[in-house]
Amino acid sequence: MNLAFSLPSLASLVQGGISLLLFLLRVAVPVLAIVVAERCFRSLRLGRRREDPVMVLENRTTHAILPVLYWENSIGRSRSCDVVLRDQTASRAHAVLLRRESGWFVADTNSKAGTFVNGRRVRGREPVNPGDVIAMGSTALTLKRTADVGAPPPRPARRRAPSPAGLLFLTLLTQAMLAVQLAFAGGKFDAKPMLPLAALALLEWALYLYSMKMLGHVSFELETLAFLLCGVGLALQTGISVKDAYTQLCAVAAGVVLYRFLIWFLGDMDHAMRWRVAIGVTALVLFAVNLLLARSRNGARNWITVGPVSVQPSEFVKIAFVLVGTSTLDRLQTYKNLTGFIGFSALCMGALFLMRDFGTACIFFAGFLIIAFMRSGSVRTVSLALAVAALGAFLILKIKPYVAQRFEVWRHVWEHTGDEGYQQVRVLSYTASGGLFGVGLGRGCLRDVFAAENDLVFGVICEEMGILLAVVCVVVLALLAFYARSLASRSRSAFYSIAACAAGGMLLFQACLNVFGATDVLPLTGVTLPFLSLGGSSMVSVWGMLAFLKACDERTYAARRRKR
Amino acid sequence: MKTMGRRSLVLILLAAGFFFGLGFFLRDLVLHGGFWAVQSFNGHLNGTGVAASGRVLDRGGAVLAQTKDGKRVYSPDLATRCAMLHAVGDTDGFISTSVQYNFRSELSGYSLVMGLATPTGKASGNDVTLTLDAGLCRLAREKLAGRNGLAAVCNYRTGELLCMVSTPDFDPQNPPKDLDTNKAYSGAYLNKVLSSTFTPGSVFKVVTAAAAIENITDLDSRVWNCNGSVVINGNRITDIGAYGTLHFKDALAKSSNVAFGQIAVELGSKLPAEADRMGFNRSFSLDGIPTAESVYDVKSASADQLAWSGVGQYTDMANPFHMLVLMDAAANGGTPVMPYLVKSVTSPAGLPLRVGAGETGPELIQPSTAERLKGYLRYNVTSQYGESLFPGLAVCAKTGTAEVGGGKAPNCWMMGFSSDEETPLAFVVMVENSSEGSVASAGRIASSLMTAAAKLAG
Repeated sequence: MNLAFSLPSLASLVQGGISLLLFLLRVAVPVLAIVVAERCFRSLRLGRRREDPVMVLENRTTHAILPVLYWENSIGRSRSCDVVLRDQTASRAHAVLLRRESGWFVADTNSKAGTFVNGRRVRGREPVNPGDVIAMGSTALTLKRTADVGAPPPRPARRRAPSPAGLLFLTLLTQAMLAVQLAFAGGKFDAKPMLPLAALALLEWALYLYSMKMLGHVSFELETLAFLLCGVGLALQTGISVKDAYTQLCAVAAGVVLYRFLIWFLGDMDHAMRWRVAIGVTALVLFAVNLLLARSRNGARNWITVGPVSVQPSEFVKIAFVLVGTSTLDRLQTYKNLTGFIGFSALCMGALFLMRDFGTACIFFAGFLIIAFMRSGSVRTVSLALAVAALGAFLILKIKPYVAQRFEVWRHVWEHTGDEGYQQVRVLSYTASGGLFGVGLGRGCLRDVFAAENDLVFGVICEEMGILLAVVCVVVLALLAFYARSLASRSRSAFYSIAACAAGGMLLFQACLNVFGATDVLPLTGVTLPFLSLGGSSMVSVWGMLAFLKACDERTYAARRRKR
Repeated sequence: MKTMGRRSLVLILLAAGFFFGLGFFLRDLVLHGGFWAVQSFNGHLNGTGVAASGRVLDRGGAVLAQTKDGKRVYSPDLATRCAMLHAVGDTDGFISTSVQYNFRSELSGYSLVMGLATPTGKASGNDVTLTLDAGLCRLAREKLAGRNGLAAVCNYRTGELLCMVSTPDFDPQNPPKDLDTNKAYSGAYLNKVLSSTFTPGSVFKVVTAAAAIENITDLDSRVWNCNGSVVINGNRITDIGAYGTLHFKDALAKSSNVAFGQIAVELGSKLPAEADRMGFNRSFSLDGIPTAESVYDVKSASADQLAWSGVGQYTDMANPFHMLVLMDAAANGGTPVMPYLVKSVTSPAGLPLRVGAGETGPELIQPSTAERLKGYLRYNVTSQYGESLFPGLAVCAKTGTAEVGGGKAPNCWMMGFSSDEETPLAFVVMVENSSEGSVASAGRIASSLMTAAAKLAG
């Protein structure tokens, strides 16, 4: 054997050592990400209120105790009501008992017999205090504190949730490990690519101090998860182009500002409800302006350029769409029809079709289905909407042959490696090449393919950072939807429940379209992957959507109330 | 609010859809990841079209192909490069039955866990060691001496394929410019052993003989009057000469069309049944590389056509690899040990990732039939071809001279096996368009190969 082979030079030893270190970091990042995600979701689960009644309603004649479990309670003859009246003279959905920051209220929801508080007929919302009598039909109920009827006091909660600062610190650790990988991405150590991640770290701790210390909030799990994903995305974008990374960083900052603004704005749902019409009209105007001014970019006319900034109005309309769609329980029960919202949705989707942005239209449609079902509970409405959509899809395939083309290549990409299947086969090939832990940041090949940093970003993560991390990232998005669901009955109002489910569902649906489109499980649509894709408008909007989930958690506003 | 909780279950539907899709994608990744990764456009594979960075070695460890500085480099010896071309493959991946094409995932070093990445950052593929002996392949090519044809030898005990050569060939290191235009290279991308079928001619009489053994009870006491030709259904079936009255074993040894044509007619539908059983009209595979199907179809044949089909003419087609498996089966009492090509796949660290082995194939011949057939095939050599062709190897064989029409000289076949326990070798050789006669052309090559292979085995 040649001696030169058996005794490698010092330089190659060092190089080998660095390679090994980078590999170990690539293994450590997804493992740590799993730990952070697991603990965040555990903390979210532990932080949920147990469904112990604080108030009860006592029947004046039978002295039966009806627990009041929620912030908004429907009362009526129907068995689906939260407080069921066994009274033929009561309406099926008779009234709503609401808890607000200023106390308890009862609202009559177009009942036949009317609702009375201490004998006075309720018009709109009427405040009720413990001891007051609420009469509906031939039933009279007294509102009482749980403690006053001798019920056992709620057991003290044993909650050993992980510390928010600790979780954010672990997230910081993943970002530090990504930063080290970036520093060595070019072969030699270079500190410059570490800067965007360092700035992100500053941003996340600033937000932490602002909301936890200054505002006195008690939870930070959602923000931690969002920053975990943003860190992965930002590391990836830095590896591709440092300049784009700074744009992305600005978008995250803007997103955080919008996030905080929306949480503030959503704080009083009755206040926010009054803005819905204005917001809806603004959204439609935005679309109209878009259609008038937009330039076509890659086949879709969904961009407006104002000075140096290009924005995608449809991303912001998503937030407006959720706001317009949602409603408090008493209003839902009073105005049962969906006509206004269906009209608004139709206009939004119509505008998107004119912009030829079919991917976003699909996301809006998914949001529409979720909101329509949450509001009406009617399978018929949803089926009808699906039937209309199927018809619409059929017409589009007839009218726009290039959409049909995407369907033709779907599941046949290997027969089109040079044309319509070009992007997908490369995603698959490079995904497999990366293995579980990736080839390393900055060493990928997929980045050179068109739209790699947004539409195909899942493949780039797989290739450079490993399939494991990519899967962890998208599973976090799926778990957000589960989380939104688990809060649906616990939130402070149906307003938040509907908004959170719609936002969580739309984020997950968008992730599905992106990931499965790129990997040929579904036809390629060209939408972004939440938190991970390069894209300013998209990043800002995703943070906005996250605000709906945050607002749904009653802990979000708990501290502020305590202060008053 | 209770209804909100219940209605929010729609999100579970969506999440279920997501996890289903994710599972679907990951399942595809597990099943096809190797194929996905080893595409010629993949930038992680050093730019070699065959997507191979590992080495290909012969059974003795001689390097047949490797990647140096991003370039695919083949054996330094031209004759070895050409002789191993079809087994090893070319750099562009045009030879789709080659190891470099079919084992590109192994050669690239792909694994599900690591993809094409390595902890040390240095990409290195796995080594694929073949069962082939480069020397034997070189000898086969040398003996083919520029004629088009093929040769294959295997060990029928272990299944190791020792020699597999197809001509014409070319130098994979410096592919000739006129490869696609020069007629001399026509068929050079084809491994004829695996991918071609040829008119079998008299080698098909092995099948007719097997059917006769099973269906004609007084076979050995029967005689056929072979006086040069016989008329069946108005069509004249001819022999090269008049052999006179022949017993069955002499009819096979002298390869009398007159006798076998009549036997085929007598067998009728028994003959296609026997052909199907012996592996016609189906594909075999060599380490997952599928072979062309041999064809025997007499559904719409008249009596004279049936007679011709019984002597390997009419529409009969035979795949050389199938013929080798058939000889393997005859040597093994009817059930072949399937030949294999890849002896082992080892990681750069020397860790064996896969070890090849000859698996037992389907029973092609009934054991008693195989035993009697062996006796007849042995008699062919001792009485006709000459024991001197294969000294000391106790070879059983059958030749064939297949008329191909179009004014071309016939294709000359010989296939057989050594019945000696010490030298468990089976072979098939075919020389295209040779007017020398099958023993003089294919027989000579087989003789050299078997003698050399016997030394290898010994």
